[in-house]
Amino acid sequence: MWRKAILLSLREKKIFTVFTLIYTILIFLTSFFWELAFSGAIGEAATYFLAIFFGTSLFLSLLYAWILVSRKRRVWATFKCIGYTNKNIMVLVSGMILFTTLVGFIVVIEVLFHYTAALAYLHSADFLLGFNSILVGLLPVIITSALFIVVQLVAFILAYRKVLKVRPIIALRKVGG
Amino acid sequence: MSSDKDIMIEAVDVNKEYRRAGAIIRALADVNLKIRSGEFTIIQGPTGCGKSTLLNVLSGLDLPDSGRIIFDGENIARATEDRLSRLRRQKIGFVFQDFNLVNTLTAIENVESVLWPTVLRQKEIENRAIAALRDVDLLDRKDHYPVQMSGGEKQRCGIARAIIHRPRVILADEATGNLDPESEKQVMNLLKKINSEMETTIIFVTHRDLSQYGTKTIKMDKGRITKIQ
Repeated sequence: MWRKAILLSLREKKIFTVFTLIYTILIFLTSFFWELAFSGAIGEAATYFLAIFFGTSLFLSLLYAWILVSRKRRVWATFKCIGYTNKNIMVLVSGMILFTTLVGFIVVIEVLFHYTAALAYLHSADFLLGFNSILVGLLPVIITSALFIVVQLVAFILAYRKVLKVRPIIALRKVGG
Repeated sequence: MSSDKDIMIEAVDVNKEYRRAGAIIRALADVNLKIRSGEFTIIQGPTGCGKSTLLNVLSGLDLPDSGRIIFDGENIARATEDRLSRLRRQKIGFVFQDFNLVNTLTAIENVESVLWPTVLRQKEIENRAIAALRDVDLLDRKDHYPVQMSGGEKQRCGIARAIIHRPRVILADEATGNLDPESEKQVMNLLKKINSEMETTIIFVTHRDLSQYGTKTIKMDKGRITKIQ
């Protein structure tokens, strides 16, 4: 079922791309401010920024869960008609949300690797020597992604409550009727 | 000669009321019926006569206010949601008026989706989906998305989805309501073939006279069964 959640995510091209992009930016910014917080570079302000980013992450997860369940109500109702339990549908919905966050995490890691590789190459040619070749360490990115996933538990609860409310009978109603 | 052992679905003194705009609408009034295994039953009646409500109640999608629904020997009128889900997955196939295919999945993926929550391996699921698509003569369209198919093809895909798990009963609610006469004929003949070759019980709800395809026709009006022939 997890593999099918990935398949469904990838087929929802628009929404998947938008949310992956937002998560990527959010994971990067949060990790960056973790890095600053660890180094003490901007003092207490880092804590406020982190709180804002986690708040945004919570909001996004709730929004994503809400969109996935509400926009696809007829699909979930049809799945219930053909024998899916609420748990089966939740595996699909939570899988779609988790996969989007994980892709965001992978994109951030990928971008940071390329940044480091590019700077290492330029440093070897004595270019851009003033730039730090490691923009954000791996640890802040992992911590951020892990915390984002924990925050998503709230979204899973919301999604589950909404999935429970989807009655299979909706699938039999005429479209627009 | 048929006996009570052959009864697939039985409704006993079933009543169902709805409240709409302050008024009470009696959708089902003391409905009693027996559908035997292997029958192709057409439930026919005008809009609002309670035929879809009857289908919903027979499949466990809706609960009756009173009475019993015996499905393959089990009273499902008060069954839990999980039990009903399992029953639908194992014994019932649905065919919808609006096809209800997932637009982002191909024909074969739509058919396979019924078996995703099962323990079957992907290869086995794929083989079964191919067989189901072959049964409805849609194998050449297996990689097409619903938007790339005609109404008749979508409905045949819907029928393949309904038979992939070899259900004992297929329930169809106005399944030809959105089709042109030629596609309607194809779909009805296909259901007739499934009924005779797979011995699947079929309950087909319609407002049109399609009694020539069924082995039994139940006519309904104002929540009551008016004629069984």
